[in-house]
Amino acid sequence: MLRNYFKIAWRNLIKSKGYSAINIGGLAIGIAATLLISLWVYDELTYNDHIEHRDKIALVLQNETFNGEVLTHGGIPRALETALRTDYDSYFKHIAMASFGKQTMGFKDVSISREGLFVQSGGPDMFSLEILKGKRNGVEEVNSIMLSESTAKALFGDKDPVGKIVKVNTKYNVKVTAVYKDFPVKSSFKGIEYVMPWAFYVKTNRWVKKAENNWSNNSFQLYVQIADNTTMAALSSKIKDLKKNLSKSTKKFNPELFLFPMNDWHLRWNFEGGKQTDGGRIKYVRLFSIIGLLILLLACINFVNLNTARSEKRAMEVGVRKAIGSSRNALIYQFLSESFLVVCLAYSIAVVIVQLSLYGFNELVNKHIYFPWDSALFWLGSLVFIMLITFISGGYPALYLSSFKPVSVLKGVFRPERFSMLPRKILVVAQFTVSVVFIIGTIVVMQQIQFSKDRPVGYNKNGLIQIPTANGRFYGKDVLMRNEFLRSGAVVEMATSTSPTTAIESNESGFLWEGKPEGFVDSFAWTKVSHEYAQTIGLKIVEGRDFSKRFSTDSSAVLINEAAVKYMGLKNPVGTYLKSTGYHKGKWKIIGVVENMITQSPYEPVKQAIYAFNKRGDLGYYNLRLNPEKSMSANLKLIEKVFKQHFPNSPFEYQFIDEEYGRKFAEEERISNLASLFTLLAIFISCLGLFGLTSYVVEQRTKEIGVRKILGASISNLWIMLSKNFVGLVILSCVLAVPIAYYYMNAWLLNFEYRINVSWSIFVVSIAGAILMTLITISFHISRIARANPINSLRTE
Amino acid sequence: MILQLKDLFKWVNSGGNRVFLLNDIDLTVNEGEFISIMGPSGSGKTTLLNVIGMLDDFNEGEYIFLEEPVHNLKEKHRANLYKEYIGFVFQSYHLIDELTVYENIETPLLYKKHSRAERKAMVADMLDRFNIVGKKDLFPSQLSGGQQQLVGIARALVSSPKLILADEPTGNLNSAQGEEIMQLFKKLNDEGVTIIQVTHSESNAAYGSRTIHLRDGLIVNK
Repeated sequence: MLRNYFKIAWRNLIKSKGYSAINIGGLAIGIAATLLISLWVYDELTYNDHIEHRDKIALVLQNETFNGEVLTHGGIPRALETALRTDYDSYFKHIAMASFGKQTMGFKDVSISREGLFVQSGGPDMFSLEILKGKRNGVEEVNSIMLSESTAKALFGDKDPVGKIVKVNTKYNVKVTAVYKDFPVKSSFKGIEYVMPWAFYVKTNRWVKKAENNWSNNSFQLYVQIADNTTMAALSSKIKDLKKNLSKSTKKFNPELFLFPMNDWHLRWNFEGGKQTDGGRIKYVRLFSIIGLLILLLACINFVNLNTARSEKRAMEVGVRKAIGSSRNALIYQFLSESFLVVCLAYSIAVVIVQLSLYGFNELVNKHIYFPWDSALFWLGSLVFIMLITFISGGYPALYLSSFKPVSVLKGVFRPERFSMLPRKILVVAQFTVSVVFIIGTIVVMQQIQFSKDRPVGYNKNGLIQIPTANGRFYGKDVLMRNEFLRSGAVVEMATSTSPTTAIESNESGFLWEGKPEGFVDSFAWTKVSHEYAQTIGLKIVEGRDFSKRFSTDSSAVLINEAAVKYMGLKNPVGTYLKSTGYHKGKWKIIGVVENMITQSPYEPVKQAIYAFNKRGDLGYYNLRLNPEKSMSANLKLIEKVFKQHFPNSPFEYQFIDEEYGRKFAEEERISNLASLFTLLAIFISCLGLFGLTSYVVEQRTKEIGVRKILGASISNLWIMLSKNFVGLVILSCVLAVPIAYYYMNAWLLNFEYRINVSWSIFVVSIAGAILMTLITISFHISRIARANPINSLRTE
Repeated sequence: MILQLKDLFKWVNSGGNRVFLLNDIDLTVNEGEFISIMGPSGSGKTTLLNVIGMLDDFNEGEYIFLEEPVHNLKEKHRANLYKEYIGFVFQSYHLIDELTVYENIETPLLYKKHSRAERKAMVADMLDRFNIVGKKDLFPSQLSGGQQQLVGIARALVSSPKLILADEPTGNLNSAQGEEIMQLFKKLNDEGVTIIQVTHSESNAAYGSRTIHLRDGLIVNK
C-alpha cells in the first residue's frame, strides 16, 4: 500500500516538474535556512562547552553606585583575594586571580607578541587546558610559561619547547612548562596564546605589587570554582557585603559582590541597575530562532498553498479512489505519505545546501560551525523534524483533498467551492506580512549601523596608526622616537597616549572642582597624552588652547572634553582648577576644551574625559599621523626601519585606527548580514510560492480569459484584472506588517543611545518594494496567458 | 433479489421551490438481471445510478441492498457494503493517470487487504480475461478509448462484485468500440453478474433484459 502511494507520489512529481521544483525547492531552501540557524543557535548555546566544570565556575563581579547609577563590572581589587582565602576558602575548589595582557616572547632570533593570561595556580585546571606536552599546572613556578600550540609552533617550529627558556618582554627568562591545545573558537578564552603565573605578573609590575592590600584598585579579575556542596546563589549572598564591610574607603560606592556563572558569560552578560536583565546576546539567539521558525513557516505555507491549488488536478483521483472503495482515512494516509516523500527530498537537498554554504556562512557570522554528520542526536532530531514538517505542511492539504465527494467530482468538471480560495489567501497574507516585517527590520538595522558609522568621531581616523609601547624598553624614548619618525619623512606628527584612541583604558574618580555638588560621586575617562596629541589625531580645540611647550606650567594642565564641561556644570571651564585626592593626587588647571571624540561604543554618548599631560612619560601607545604624500606601504616600511633600529628585539606591531574603529561595528554588522541573508531567503520563498500559485490561478481562469478576450478585453485590461487580487493581498500584508515592524524595531533601537528614528520613508520603500516584487513575480504567468490566442484556450473542452 | 428501492425521493431546494430529482421511485432488481436506464438529459438517470451505488444520498424512502436497509446504515457500513459488492464503470473511464494498467486494476484490491500474491493472481486473471496482458505496463494516456474502458471494466470486476453500475459506458467510444464493450457486458451478465447501465442508445439498451424509462425523476412506463 505504502509502496503504491510512494509510486503515485513520485510519478506526480515527475509529471509536473515545474511545480515539483517550486514545491521541493522552496521547502528545501526554507529547511536549509532553518538548519543553518539551528546550527548557529546550537553553537551559541554550547559556548564554553570545552570547559569541564563550567557549571561550577564563576567570575566575581561587583555592583558599584556612582551618583545613584549602579554599574556592574568585573574589575576586582587584589585585597579581595586575601579576604576570600582567609574566611571562605572551604566554599571554593579554586580561587584564582587573573589578568590579561600582551607580551613579547623571544627564542633565539624569533620574537613575537601575543595576547595571554596571568593566572594563579588552579587556573589551568579550571579552564580545562588540554595539555599536549608538559604538565597541567604549569604556573606553579614564578618564572614559567605555558604556550598554546600555535605560539609554540611560531617560536620553536617543530622542536619540543618544554624545558626551553623563553625571553619575555626582552628582559625575563622563563621556562616553558607545557604546551596546550589552542582554545577553541567558541570559548571565552579564545586567543589566549600563553598562560603565565600570576606571581610573575606581580613581580614584574610595580603597580600590581603595590595593589596587594588595596581595595580601590579594581584592575584585576577573579575566577572561582565553587565547591561541590554549595551553589552560586548561596555563595553570592555570603560574599555580597564582604568588600563593604572590610573597606572603609570604597564604602561610598556601595560595592556589592556576587558570582557570575560561566554559563551566563557569553549570552547573558547584561546588567541594569545592578540586576541581571533578560538581555544580552541571548536576545539575538531568540530573535534568530524566531526568524528560523518563521522562514520554515513560509516554506510550509508554500507547500500548503501549492498542494491545495492543485486540488482540481487531484480531485478526480480522489473521486475514483473513493468510488472503488477507498476510505477517507486511506486517502489522508496517502496524501500524508506523499508529503513525507516531498519533505524527505527537500530535507536531503537542504542538507546539501547547508553543507555547501557552511563555509560562506561561517565567514558571515565569524564562526567555525561544522555539519554534525556524526551526531546521532542530529539525525534523530532530523527525523522528528521531517515528521513535524510533514504534518504541518501536509496535514491541511490531506484533509482538504480527501474531503471531496465522489459524486460531485466524477460528474465531470470539478468546481471548487466559492470559499476554497480563502485559506490560501490568508496564508499568502501571512507570508507577505512576515516578509515585509523582515524587509523593514533589515532596513532599520542597516540604517542604524550606517547612521552610527556616519557619526562624527571627533578626530581624523584615516592615515592614523598606533604602535603599542607595552614594555619597559620603550621607557624614556618618546622624544627621541618622535624626532626619528619625523626625520624619516613617513610621519608628519607623533604623540603618545596611555590609552588608545579607540578605547578608554583607565577611569578616575575623586576629583574636586568649584561648584561640585555635595555627595556627587564622579567618574572620568583618564588619558595621559604628550604635547602633540590633539594635533596628531586631529582633535579640535573648541575653547582655550592646546598643550604647549612654551608654558612650562602645562605639566600640571589638563584638557577636558565638551561632555566633561556639561558633566561638571562649568560655565567657564578654561582656567578652572581640578583637585584630586584619589589615586592621582594633585591639582590641575583646565587650559582647553576639546571636541567629544568617540572612544567607546559609537552607539553611546561620549563619556566625560580628562586628557592630562603625560609628564612622567607613562607607556601606552605611539600615535602616528602618516605622511599623506607617500604611499601607505612606503610609510610603513620607513617606520618599521626606524622602529627596528631602536627596538631590535621587539616585534614591530601597529594598528590602523580606522580599522580598530571599524571593529566596534563588527557585531552589529554580523547581525545585519545575517538578517539580510534571511530576509532575502524569506522574500525568495514567498515569491516562489506566489509564482506557483499564480500559475494555477491563471490556469483555472484560462477559459474565462479566452472569453473575455473574444469579447474585447485588451492585454492591459486582463493584466490589471489578474494582478488586482494579488496586489490587494500584498497591500493587506503591508498594513498588517507596518505596526508589527514599527513596534519591534523601536524596541530594538532603544538599545542604542545614539539612534535613528524610524521614519515613514522606510515603510514607503518597503511597501513599494513588496508590491514591485509581487508584480514582477506574477507578471510571468499573467503576460503569458494574456497574450495567448483565445482559440486555443476555448478549444480545450 | 439483489436490491429494492421503495417510495424513494430525492430533491433539492431551489429558490423556495422543491425540485425533485427522483420522484417516488419503486424498483426491484433481481440477481442476474441486466437493466438499462434510459431517459432524456436531466431526467435523473445518473442520480438514480449514484443512489444505487451509494455515492449519493436520498431524502425519503427505503433502499434495501442484499437485505440490508441502506437508509439506516452509517456511512462507514455503507462504504463497506458498496466496496464489497459494487463495481463502477464510468463514461470517461476515470482511470488514474499516474498508474499503469496493472496498477489501476490492482487499486481496488489494495483497499481490501488482499495479500500481494493474491492481488497478483487476481490482476493477472483480469488481464488474461480481457486480453490486455501486453498492455499492463502502459499508462492510460497510451491507450485508445476502447482500451481504457476495458481497463475500467477490468478494474470494476477485479474484486468480483455482485453488481456492476455503468454510467454511459460507451458514451465516449466509437460504435465499433461500443459494440465490443456491450458484447463484453452481455458475456459478463451471462456469467451471472448483475448489471445496471445508463444509456442513451436504444441499441445498447437492447442488450439488457429490462429497460426503465425516466422522465423528470419519475419512472414512466412506455
